[in-house]
Amino acid sequence: MNRRLIWLMGCVAGIFSCWLFPLFHVVTLKTATAEKAAATFNATLFAEMFWTNQLPTALEKTVTAQILLPAIQSDAAAAKKKFSRSLGLGEGYFYFLRGEGKIISVSDDELILTVTENSTNAEISLQTGLIFGNALRDGTGLLSANDYPNSQDFNDISAALNHIVETRVLPELREQAKVGAKISFVGCAEVGDEATDLKPLKVIPIQTEVQ
Amino acid sequence: MNANTKELFKKLQPLIALVVMVVTMSLLSDKFLTIANERNILLQISVNLCLSIGMTLIILTGGIDLSVGAMLGLAGAVAADLLKNGLVLKVFGVVLQFTPFGAMVAGILVGLALGWFNGIAITRFKLPPFVATLGMLSIARGLTMLWTGGFPVTDLGPKFGFIGAGFFLGVPMAVWISAALVVIFYFISKRTTLGRYIYAVGGSEKATAFSGINVNRVKIWVYALGGALAAVAGLIVTARLDAADPKAGLGYELDSIAAVVIGGTSLSGGRGSILGTVLGCLIIGVLNNGLFLLDVSPFWQQVVKGFVILAAVAADKLGARRE
Repeated sequence: MNRRLIWLMGCVAGIFSCWLFPLFHVVTLKTATAEKAAATFNATLFAEMFWTNQLPTALEKTVTAQILLPAIQSDAAAAKKKFSRSLGLGEGYFYFLRGEGKIISVSDDELILTVTENSTNAEISLQTGLIFGNALRDGTGLLSANDYPNSQDFNDISAALNHIVETRVLPELREQAKVGAKISFVGCAEVGDEATDLKPLKVIPIQTEVQ
Repeated sequence: MNANTKELFKKLQPLIALVVMVVTMSLLSDKFLTIANERNILLQISVNLCLSIGMTLIILTGGIDLSVGAMLGLAGAVAADLLKNGLVLKVFGVVLQFTPFGAMVAGILVGLALGWFNGIAITRFKLPPFVATLGMLSIARGLTMLWTGGFPVTDLGPKFGFIGAGFFLGVPMAVWISAALVVIFYFISKRTTLGRYIYAVGGSEKATAFSGINVNRVKIWVYALGGALAAVAGLIVTARLDAADPKAGLGYELDSIAAVVIGGTSLSGGRGSILGTVLGCLIIGVLNNGLFLLDVSPFWQQVVKGFVILAAVAADKLGARRE
């Protein structure tokens, strides 16, 4: 009898606890699917909104290549301090720049440009192959990792932005690019290793116009 | 040295070892005796402590459980998945969306069920504990991979994460949980009928059975509790990482057995205590932390830990032979 009473009291306590702290909620499959879709971060949609709404307003904040490249040449550290952005504690940094130049070489993966007057050197390498890295996401300074609790979401933005450039900017650019043509561009450059990434400066194009 | 002094010395062996290690480490590294480091050691041992409490009860009955690490992984994965994706019941067209509390209860029930299965295999089918739990190790690891598809379940939210990464009164929640379990299971082992039965079964299974105690039921309970405690450890690991890693708990069973043995519990059963296991966990924690602070290679750390375990078992065997 005593044992039965203990079991009964245990069951009552269990039911009361479950009422106080529910173990689960029952929702229909349809509602759950809709809720999940709404809660899931859609990096493609986010990148699309960023590309059409946020990015155009930031294009004015770029430094011109005609100012940046001489500054890098005379004092790379000072140019980095004045014009670049960096994230976290890493050594890498980014330039968000615009410029006009002349195409001196065309290959599958890059267009080589000269941008300063009377120069024949390879000064800018516009990347036209597959786009990797976080230059587009981090170079503009519009997005911060702190706004994304999930680092995977933040990484997905990078991939989505790179995909937009690969599918919308590069096909037209590759088609129009010819040696000797004049070109204006806006883009982001990631400098991981100054020895290899500055000469020429590797730029991922965001906007281009070949004349 | 008379018998009483010898007995006292034997009981105090783990404590003396711990004090010697703490003094040595604090002399060798100025970072060792800082509050932040002590908190770090407590946080690091909290998972092993949960596992080792259950392992102590099992070893006290003369058994062993090699599947605690695998059960830890499965319980964490199930809890995380139920929290993240819920339980889809297509037949009824509904989804059970688990609350953090519900997911934790489900995880613990998974551990309890697997432990119970271990107990049944050992008592009803008369399998040696080593073999039965080795089988469960493989089953639980496989089920974890099947459940998760081999991928981690991430982004579980702050409410769930609180038990692994949260603080209460400046002390990590994981430490509070393991401390509460120590108190509860110390009480169970020393002050309840089940506790006395556990020691009795480990002391002499035959004599216990002849005195009318249902030995099988005691063993099933002990293995089920061991599974439930492994599940609690799994929840802490999952909450701390904010992710259920399908490979979580790999090799944890060895650390837990080591802590129990170093803490003075006899592998042949019937002798030992929860408090000894706490000291065993602290010794392993201090050893790991101290060697890390002294910049000893992780490979050497394993070698040193192995020797400490061997020394503890040898001391236990020598003591038993003299008795």
